Amino acid sequence: MTSDTPNNDSTQNGDQIDERSEESPAVQADPRQNWLKGRINQWRESGLISDDQSEAIINFESMPEAPFRLGLRFSRLIIVLSTLGAVLIGAGIISFVAANWQGIPAIAKLALLIGGQTAAYWVAYQLQFVRGFPKVGGAIMFAAAAWFGANVFLVAQSYHLGTENPDLLILWFAGVLPLAYITRSKAITVMAVGIFLIGISWKAAAQTEDAESGLQVMAILLLGGSSIYSIGLVHLSHAVTKFFAAPYLVGGTLLTIFVTFMLTFEDIFNDLTRSPARESLELSGGYVGIAVVVSSITVASLIAGYRQAMRVERFSVQKLSKPAVLVLIVVAAWLLAFHPFTSSAPYVVVFNLLLILLIFGLITLGIVNKREAFVNVGIVFFVIDLSTRYIELTVDMLDTSLAFIIGGLLLLGVGYGMERARRKLLQQFGMMEVTQ
Amino acid sequence: MSSKLKRLFITVIIIQIVFLLGLVGYRETILALGRTAVLQTVPVDPRDLFKGEYVILRYEISTIGDGSNNTGTKPYIRGEIIEGNIVYVGIPDSDTNEFDRSQFAQAGNPSEEMDLFIKGRVTSSKDNIITVEYGIEQYFVPEGRGLEIEQADDVKVRVKINRSGTAAIEELIVDGEVWRP
Repeated sequence: MTSDTPNNDSTQNGDQIDERSEESPAVQADPRQNWLKGRINQWRESGLISDDQSEAIINFESMPEAPFRLGLRFSRLIIVLSTLGAVLIGAGIISFVAANWQGIPAIAKLALLIGGQTAAYWVAYQLQFVRGFPKVGGAIMFAAAAWFGANVFLVAQSYHLGTENPDLLILWFAGVLPLAYITRSKAITVMAVGIFLIGISWKAAAQTEDAESGLQVMAILLLGGSSIYSIGLVHLSHAVTKFFAAPYLVGGTLLTIFVTFMLTFEDIFNDLTRSPARESLELSGGYVGIAVVVSSITVASLIAGYRQAMRVERFSVQKLSKPAVLVLIVVAAWLLAFHPFTSSAPYVVVFNLLLILLIFGLITLGIVNKREAFVNVGIVFFVIDLSTRYIELTVDMLDTSLAFIIGGLLLLGVGYGMERARRKLLQQFGMMEVTQ
Repeated sequence: MSSKLKRLFITVIIIQIVFLLGLVGYRETILALGRTAVLQTVPVDPRDLFKGEYVILRYEISTIGDGSNNTGTKPYIRGEIIEGNIVYVGIPDSDTNEFDRSQFAQAGNPSEEMDLFIKGRVTSSKDNIITVEYGIEQYFVPEGRGLEIEQADDVKVRVKINRSGTAAIEELIVDGEVWRP
């Protein structure tokens, strides 16, 4: 008979535990420690671990919590200080180069940029992988990846190319994404996914200025959000790549819910189509191609992720909820791209329903899987949605100043209530960060 | 780090350098092989902490009308052009430097009538007047030198343009003299 939870004391191996417990009365009082020691003894007896390993684990687990936590805080401080230091040095060099750009000969510019970047990578590599300073090395690696981005913009600047250019961000993203995997850096993964999200959103914003393609671009952005989330699911389903999943899951969620929120407004539809009475919009081949590719990435990622998950877990209806929502998003995006109705009303209804589904789906997903980030995103968008609907409703009904005062009071009240509810949820369900 | 990962790490760094050199090579190719045009401009001088100092260049061809009042000294709009469109604008080369009626702005593709054209994006379209950006609206200068350009009476920009209409700034001509940074 084995005990399954830390709260169940093991009695089978009591004498072995007691032997050690006498050495440390503080540990004896901790039921979790007793349970763990019982389990470790069982593993040792069944040959899963050796005597040395058993002793090492027990010693490690018997260590007082305070120094361990202090060490953790100290190591975070090292990361923060190293990153700030590396970023400050980089910003100083970039600022100096930018200020004196035209005074530096072309060859010297290139040598300075490429040489500096390569030197930063070399130092980062040496510290992180050779000399045994992974935190400082990791921070410099992150700064070097940021340096590459700055170099892309500096080269553009040296040729007087407009630097308000999302393509430069896409180039930066393409350069640093592989680095994130090779160095197993979550910070660089966050940087890469963040740059990509800003890049495609910026590009989309520029493209939506064109009345002929506005809706199609928004549809592609929505498909992009679901696709990024699906890629996160694939990462999550494999032990090796699980580490990288969070930035994709959170990034994809944010993009999807933000675009859906934008599409809940009739004015946005009217702006995108320029005229609500417009008969129909022709789909251009280029946009259809992009939409097909992005949708295919979502579907392929879902299949790949779930095939892997089904190998190790039993099938359940609950497991179909995420793919079902993703498929709904894809269908809504294609509806938007084809734009079959002349009035904007059906779309506003569809996207309002989708937003409600996403908000409550995210909160549920967060609670079920104990992911704090999803609960937070769901609650934030719930409050934003509530506030905007209030403004929409009262803007024509009440005097502006009165509407603001009532709205402000309501927001404060809702904010207080939601924060209390959020904290209660997190405590009640013992939430963890999305990556853990 | 295993030797395989080390090789991949070096490969990624090399790819990043290739990206940077590719950007340089593309612009250098335009400057080396492109055709030359001289564009009249009015500069404004802003500053940015990370970008350094630069002048914003507003060209004569940044705003284009429908041609109803056109005296033949500026390009005009031909066909329907809306905000967000990519347009091709016919311009004279540096030898003639004078506009004629074959120089107009057209969306979609460049016209065969155009001898030399520059590609841009329409940022606004209102009352039959379009505003176009060509990607050559910023000129970066050493710190403190922007005012020299802003206060000049006459500023022209010598640009090089490749076959697809992409332009790159070669140099500034300030009050008739080539401006040296």
